[in-house]
Amino acid sequence: MPSPWVVPNLRLNMPTAPVIETQALTKVFGPQRALDGVNLTVAPGAIGLLGPNGAGKSTFMKCLLQLQPITSGSAKLLGREVGREGREIRKRVGYTPEQDCHIPGMAGCEYVTYCAQLCGLPFQAARQRAHEMLDFVGMGQERYRKADTYSTGMRQRLKLAQAIVHDPEIVFLDEPTNGLDPKGQAQILELVQSLWKTYGITVVVSSHLLQDVDKICEQIIIIARGRVLVHDTLENLKARKRGAAEVVMSARHLDLQAACARRSWPCEVLPNGHLKIEHQAESLNPLLTVLHELKLVPLEIIPSPNALEETFVQALEISHAAA
Amino acid sequence: MPLHDTSYQHWDGVHLGLWRRRWVIARNGLAAALQNKWMRNLVVLCWFGGLAMIAMLFVVGQLLVADSVIVQWVGNLNPQLQVFARMFTTWLEQHPEISVRTTQDVLFCFFGIFLMPVSIFALGMAMPVFITRDLGSNAIIIYSSKAVSRGDYLMGKFAAAFGVLVLTWLGPVCTAWLVGNLLAPDWSFFWHARVPLCHTLIFGLSSMCILSVLALGVSAVSPKEKTTIGLWYTAWILGGVVVPIATQTQPWLRHLSFNFNIDQIALGVFQLGDDLKIAQDNLPIFGSMLSNIRPDTMAALTAPATGGSVVALLLMAALAALVVRKRVKPE
Repeated sequence: MPSPWVVPNLRLNMPTAPVIETQALTKVFGPQRALDGVNLTVAPGAIGLLGPNGAGKSTFMKCLLQLQPITSGSAKLLGREVGREGREIRKRVGYTPEQDCHIPGMAGCEYVTYCAQLCGLPFQAARQRAHEMLDFVGMGQERYRKADTYSTGMRQRLKLAQAIVHDPEIVFLDEPTNGLDPKGQAQILELVQSLWKTYGITVVVSSHLLQDVDKICEQIIIIARGRVLVHDTLENLKARKRGAAEVVMSARHLDLQAACARRSWPCEVLPNGHLKIEHQAESLNPLLTVLHELKLVPLEIIPSPNALEETFVQALEISHAAA
Repeated sequence: MPLHDTSYQHWDGVHLGLWRRRWVIARNGLAAALQNKWMRNLVVLCWFGGLAMIAMLFVVGQLLVADSVIVQWVGNLNPQLQVFARMFTTWLEQHPEISVRTTQDVLFCFFGIFLMPVSIFALGMAMPVFITRDLGSNAIIIYSSKAVSRGDYLMGKFAAAFGVLVLTWLGPVCTAWLVGNLLAPDWSFFWHARVPLCHTLIFGLSSMCILSVLALGVSAVSPKEKTTIGLWYTAWILGGVVVPIATQTQPWLRHLSFNFNIDQIALGVFQLGDDLKIAQDNLPIFGSMLSNIRPDTMAALTAPATGGSVVALLLMAALAALVVRKRVKPE
């Protein structure tokens, strides 16, 4: 039977006010601008912070959590000014850093209990919550073993448990699937997804892996070189497609090129031999009609990447160019 | 399939205050220190020292009880010691306010100085649990992401170091004072012993604060346990080696030893020179015993270099604070 202080399941009032608000947020490390005037207003939800390594994702999180001092600009987290109400903010926030961060010599359950106590939970409640959260993240009897002996997967679970043990309103997860095998990745992502979808806890997932955020996030923020390239819902980004496709033909390239020219569709032969055709329609139907009319059977048709993929690739290119 | 509900539960309880969170850090640090078997043995050794102190105070008290076993036992001692014991008893009877204070001052001073090296040794053993391990395992970032600030973290760690010293130093001394005076034949012993208690507290608390800060500073120097433990003991031993050499050449160099500085503060706080002079005046036989003490030792007892020691310890503490400030960061 649950204790009286435990409110099971869903938060009755799902939050709607912006959870993150930044204005010209800048962070400078010596000559390098890790964050360059970031302006964002982020609604609650499952938020993916996407970008290549070194883009500024972790710095953005750390500035919000006051783990790094802000160079200039301002930021609000859960409606509170970052820098002025540090403890109050962190009481309502969970965080899993990218690197290992357990306390040597402590068993998993002791560690999570200790973290709960650091957030102000009384010992009894902290211990009970610790066990509940370790159950939630799928840790069994290994919770009684010293954390020093844990595998990477267990450590990721432990990090997640300590981040949510005090029932935060928002959780920041920095590369939560790093070092995990595909099965472990899927399990962690499923847990993370449930935090927002089922329990109403806003989740900010930082990752350099597109497929991670694509699976679980509703909002996407793409950062490169300390700048926000895009902030939109996943749905919108996926819907935004340029009307283009790559067609792989085994023969009769010229017939198809001629047909495209008759319809004024720009068409070019890519270095890999594929034909890139800008058919300017949202679906592939016009292109399929042309192929049908010409009785052409392509080897493959690759639809144009959506805006999410394109922006991510753009971020990678910016990053590589800077490197 | 689990037998109980493993879904996420929201928590709606009342958060504890900031001091409780600091206390959690301190208690955790102390518990981690006591996980070491040798540390526990050291604590037990210190409390045995406390028991010895209680026994001494009991003997002093029993000298005032005419038919006590102690008095009968003293009667069987050699003539010189018998004379000393009788004079001491007379002094206790005639001037209890001075004699009890002086006796306990001397005893607590020596006891405090005796326990200090043990406490310093204990701090060295506990060095990794203060900051070193947190630096090595990136745990600082976890503290920083919780509802505690860097100041709260350091306060908790300071309290953990202080707690180690309470267990090995102030605890046994204060317990000895309490139990020793409870076993005394007269309640007035408590009143007469108030000044030694104050001296013990002033010396103990100030030295423990300084040592705790120094321990945090050394603990924050490196994320490697062996390095910080080695550094602590090296600083201590080198200080001990420097003092006798510096006494002959450059006396100010003695202040490089924190152990020496704390000894000087003990002598300054307890004013042992004055107490010995009082004892010498009231117990002539004691005077002849003191004449065997070397003049330079007597000079050191009567005129400790307290000022220089305080300055040196404050400088060391400032340096330690600087190291902590530089090293203890979330990143």
